[in-house]
This record gives sequence, structure tokens and C-alpha cells, in this order.
Amino acid sequence: MTATVALIRDTFREAFARKIFWGLFGLSTVMILFFLFLLKIDIVEGAMATVSLFGRTSNRANDLEKLVRGVYGGIAAYLYVWGMVIAVFASSGLIPSVLEPGRIELLLSKPVSRMHILLGRYVGNVLVISCNVIYLVLGVWLIFGFKTGIWEARFLISIATTIFIFAVLLTVVVLVGVVFESAALATMIAVALMIMSAILAQTSTMLKLLSSEWSRNIWRTLYYTFPKIYDMGRMTLDAISDRAFIGYMPIWSSAIFGAVMLGAALIIFARRDF
Amino acid sequence: MESDYAIDTTGLTKVFHTRWTRQEVRAVDGISLGVRRGTTYGFLGPNGAGKTTFVKMLLSAVHPTAGSAHIFGKPAGLPEARRPIGYLPENHRFPTYFTGAGMLDFYAALSGLAAADRKRRIPELLDRVGLDRWGGVRVGKYSKGMLQRLGLAQALMHSPTLLILDEPSDGVDPVGRRHIREILGALEEQGVTIFINSHLLVEVEMFCKEVAILDRGKVALSGRVRELTAGKGYRLSAAQVPERLYDELKQRAAAAAVQDGLSDFHFATREQVNEAVDLLRAEKCEIESVIPTTSTLEELFVKTVQK
Repeated sequence: MTATVALIRDTFREAFARKIFWGLFGLSTVMILFFLFLLKIDIVEGAMATVSLFGRTSNRANDLEKLVRGVYGGIAAYLYVWGMVIAVFASSGLIPSVLEPGRIELLLSKPVSRMHILLGRYVGNVLVISCNVIYLVLGVWLIFGFKTGIWEARFLISIATTIFIFAVLLTVVVLVGVVFESAALATMIAVALMIMSAILAQTSTMLKLLSSEWSRNIWRTLYYTFPKIYDMGRMTLDAISDRAFIGYMPIWSSAIFGAVMLGAALIIFARRDF
Repeated sequence: MESDYAIDTTGLTKVFHTRWTRQEVRAVDGISLGVRRGTTYGFLGPNGAGKTTFVKMLLSAVHPTAGSAHIFGKPAGLPEARRPIGYLPENHRFPTYFTGAGMLDFYAALSGLAAADRKRRIPELLDRVGLDRWGGVRVGKYSKGMLQRLGLAQALMHSPTLLILDEPSDGVDPVGRRHIREILGALEEQGVTIFINSHLLVEVEMFCKEVAILDRGKVALSGRVRELTAGKGYRLSAAQVPERLYDELKQRAAAAAVQDGLSDFHFATREQVNEAVDLLRAEKCEIESVIPTTSTLEELFVKTVQK
């Protein structure tokens, strides 16, 4: 336990030192402040008279709820696309840095298994990003809650889905980091997966357009193999907007993908000479 | 079962392959070595002899191709076997975001030391290596010698019973070296096994009781330093020595080398050196000097790796 805590703390320390943590924290704070000052609410005798957001004004409760949900959806989408790219970019250096000659030998000389070292780093990295995601989502949720009186708990689902998808993408970063020791390559591959996910998610349309059965099979294989980043994002939006749920397949298939990537990274790391 | 040996290897081998041609490189070639508990052991060899690869196999940073290694009787591959080891790597790169105290705390935690023990040991160790005022300063501000001393403190944090030091006094000034020797001397008295991988032969000779000289992945010579360096002899330097005579004298000498146009020979006895002088003079070679010597580890080293 002592070693696990030490490895996680070390990841945080490095994230602080590389300004990764503070950079993400700063971006989240800017976003929270943005909503704090952007959302204008006029209260007349204890009731909300008008709400103004992005230049649009509403004075009806139904409209207001719709507006707030829309904003929550927008933030969730922002987190999904840009937040994820920033998080992957920020985290990609944390794995190769441990493998630097002169540093890894000393780590390996300690009575800690290689699996323990890599998992400690991975968990530490997920926690660094989790802290920022929780801070941002919770901050925005509290501001909207206090200002509008609408406490839409479903928005908090985006904490879980964002962290989950980041944890899946991080397994790719870990694998690429262990094999190639390149932060840049790890970022490129993770972002490429995000882009691919959006394309592969158009499965129903593409299956109609593809002429041969084998090409349709290839498409299906790719779709089911790769993580469903896009689908998970859509699920989050559906949940926030109280729309129909598309099922658990994107969750478990992404989890399997992450487990396979992490397993491969652990096996390669255990076998490597340093 | 308790083993008499701190380090015990049998036929330890590591073969690397070049990337494209898959050519075989035998970095360590069947080393069988026993380092007794409580001894001070010097591990010597020219660059590329396989010393660091051997050490990395003891620490499981490199996986052996063949053979086995045990630390206090436990297979070196097990994390538990590394618990009694304190290690100072060569060319270490400590993360610069650590303070000196923070670094000691982190590595000691990985060694399983409890928080209370770490808190007590950190100022103790910093004081012991002469860095008591530097504990709160970031490692990035440390000089090479200070980093080396901090690295030694890191290796000692969990009171190891086997200390593996790769070039421990690299970059350390003479006063610092003496200080390190004093620390190691005190540890030796406490029964700690010390395994030093070093190029500084004089230091190894001064400090180590036993030594192994590695050459091209194999142990070329090993034994007690006192016994290996016991013999007195004579160093003979001569100029214009014909190749045939040089080869003949090399066969008779304990060591031979050509330097700056002079042929140097080391003979074990007075009779041998007199015979050599006779042969050289018969060939009209110029005798530059004949000096009585005691055999040093350096001479032994040169002789061993030049064979």
C-alpha cells in the first residue's frame, strides 16, 4: 500500500511540476468563471423573471430548463472533444518520463513488481485528470444550480463518462509509451482513435452504402473493436437531455478494448530490458 | 534457507541482438560468481565488458538469457529478493521536481519503509552524506557530486544488507570521496555486503577485500585483493625491441605493453629481469629503466584485459 500511494503521489508531483495539473485547473477555472459571469438572472419577488445566456433571454420555466440542459450538453460535448484532447496531450509525457534511462533502473531495483509500477502510474494519471473533470463539472453544476434553482443531477453523469473514456484512451497512451517511449506518438494515436470513433459511429449509414459483404464485415469489426468514444459522448448527451438510452454496448466494448491495451502494455513492460 | 552468499550467480548469460541484422552480442557470458555475506567486493572491467548488464540482471532490470542469479538465496527475479538491496545506479537521473528530502521519501516508500521511519531517517541520512542543509532544495539545483551523495543516501534509506554501487564516486571531489569511503567503511563494520562496480582501481584496491575482473562478458580473474596483488616484481622499460624478442619476453613476463615507443615488461623475480636484460642487451636494445615494484590492482587489471 505504501508503494502504491508513493507511485500515485509521484504522478501528481510530476503533473504539478510539469504544470499539467495547474494548466488544466486554470482552464477549468476560466470556464467556471465564464458561466459565473455570463449567466444573468433577474429575480423579482423571489421568482425568476428572466434568464439571459449567450444573448438569449427566457422568462418561461420550461424554456429555462431546456436552456440549462442545452448548456449542460454543450459543456459535456466540450469536455468530450477538447477536454479529452487536452487531457491526453497533457498526460502523454507522464508514461515515457518514467522509462528514461537512469530513472527506470532505480525504480526497478525496488521491491515492487513491474505491474505495480505501471498500474500505479496509470491510476495516478487517471486521478490527476479526474480531479480536474470533477472540479469543472461540479463547479458549473453548482453555479447553474444556485443561479437557476434547477438542480439537474443528470449532468453529473458526464463526470463518470468523461473519466471512463479518458481511462480507456490512456491505456493506448500507456501501450504506445511503453513500446515506443514517445509522448508525441501516443498523443497522435489517441487523437486518431477519437477521430476514427466519430467516423465508425456512422455504422448504420455506412453499412447501407458499402456494396460488398466483406467490406461491411470489416467495418463492423472495426466498429466493435475500437473504443466508442463518439457513442459514449452521444450517450452522455442523451442522458442529460433525458432522451432514449442506446444500450450498454459502447461501455463494455470500450472497457474490453481498454483492458486489452492495458494488458498488452503490462506484458510488454514486464518483458522489456532496461 | 539462509544463504552464505549475498550474491550467487550460475552461468548467468545475456545475449542481445542488433536491431536489423539480428547479430548476436554476448554482453554477459556464463558468469558464475559468489559474493559472501559481509564482504566488500569490487567488480572491474573495461568499458563494454558487461559489468552494468550483470548488475542490471541482479536487479531484474535486464532478463537473463540463461543461467540464474540469487540474492541472499532468493531468485533475483522476485520483487522480494530486492528488498535487502540498496542500489546507486550509474548515470542516474533523479526527477528534478523532487527536493532532496522528497526524493528520499519517495524511494524509501517504494522500499516499503513506513512513513514514521522515513520521517526519522531522512534528516539522519542527509546529515550523514553532508547534505543536511539541502533537504528542502530541488534536486535540479544539486551539483553532480551532491547528486551522487544524495543517491547514496537514497540507497541507504531502508538500511539495506546488500549495497550495489555503480561508480559511487563518479563526479565527487577528493574530500567527498573520502567521506563516501568512511560511510562505506562504517557499513562494512556493520556487516553490510558492499558490491562496487567501478573504474577507479585505486579506490577498489583500497576498499574491497575481493575483486572480479570482467573481460568481454566473462570473469577473467577473481579472488582476494591481498592475494592477487601480493607479488613483488620489477618493471623493465626498453627501447628498440624487435618484435620477435618482444613476443618472447611477453611470454616470460607477468605483464607487457608498448607505450610511447617503449616496451614495458613486468617480471616477478630478479632472475627473470636479469635474463631479460641480457637478452635485450644481446640485441643491442636500449634499457631505459629497471624499477622494483609491488604489484598493484591496476597492473593486474591491465594484464588481465590485455591477454
